[in-house]
Amino acid sequence: MRHQREEDYLSGNLTAMIDVVFQLIIFFVCTVNMQESAVDDRISLAMAPHGQAVEKKNPLEIYVDVDSQGYISITHTIISQQTLVGILKKAVAEYGQQVPVIIRGDSRTSHSDIKRVMDACAMSGLWKIKFSALKERGS
Amino acid sequence: MIDIAFQMLSFFVITTHPVSVITNLDVYRPSQDKTASQAKQPPKMIKIMVLPNDVFSINDKIIELQDLDRLLSKLAALDTQQTIMIMCTPESQHGQLVEVLDLCAKSGLVNLSVVSTS
Repeated sequence: MRHQREEDYLSGNLTAMIDVVFQLIIFFVCTVNMQESAVDDRISLAMAPHGQAVEKKNPLEIYVDVDSQGYISITHTIISQQTLVGILKKAVAEYGQQVPVIIRGDSRTSHSDIKRVMDACAMSGLWKIKFSALKERGS
Repeated sequence: MIDIAFQMLSFFVITTHPVSVITNLDVYRPSQDKTASQAKQPPKMIKIMVLPNDVFSINDKIIELQDLDRLLSKLAALDTQQTIMIMCTPESQHGQLVEVLDLCAKSGLVNLSVVSTS
């Protein structure tokens, strides 16, 4: 009798737990997709299979995209070099010179367009920059 | 409930696609630092030039990408802390620069500077 009651008790808890697990799965699947949508699909990154995979993301990171036409953009918004300098200077004033700037340049972009972003970083006092590349290509 | 669980499982398996793994390659830009110019001994420096149309040169000598890979591995075996200066021409493609940075990362060379030439 007591054994039966224990089984009922356990099965009841299990149902609630499974519900919670499904809720969590749905939450994570949705948020992962949102994060992916921040990446500009028009930019085809170059392959760098020997680079270290990005595991931890710094919330201060500033991603600067440069498409194959040479347009500079931040979060899908095309900006001029002057505007970029303004943004970076503001970030440096607020968080210091350790602000990580990551340049996501299209592999076909000419270096002169990447140089414009690098010069903007230099004008803002940022000497350490990162270039984003693909370690493994997805689908 | 098991039916729903299988429905959801199959839904996620079908809809999710493999995610691309991103890597960030760190570089420095040579700054106009006064203390750097006062250094008594010039540091050992390897100059790699990235020219248009997949042409590369090391210390002003044209080299194939495979040979550059081999050479960088040999250099890294001697000292991984030596400075590699990567010079890019305005017409060179960004993908070429990433290729060189990838080879440096492969060899374990960490002091990488990118300079743009006119």
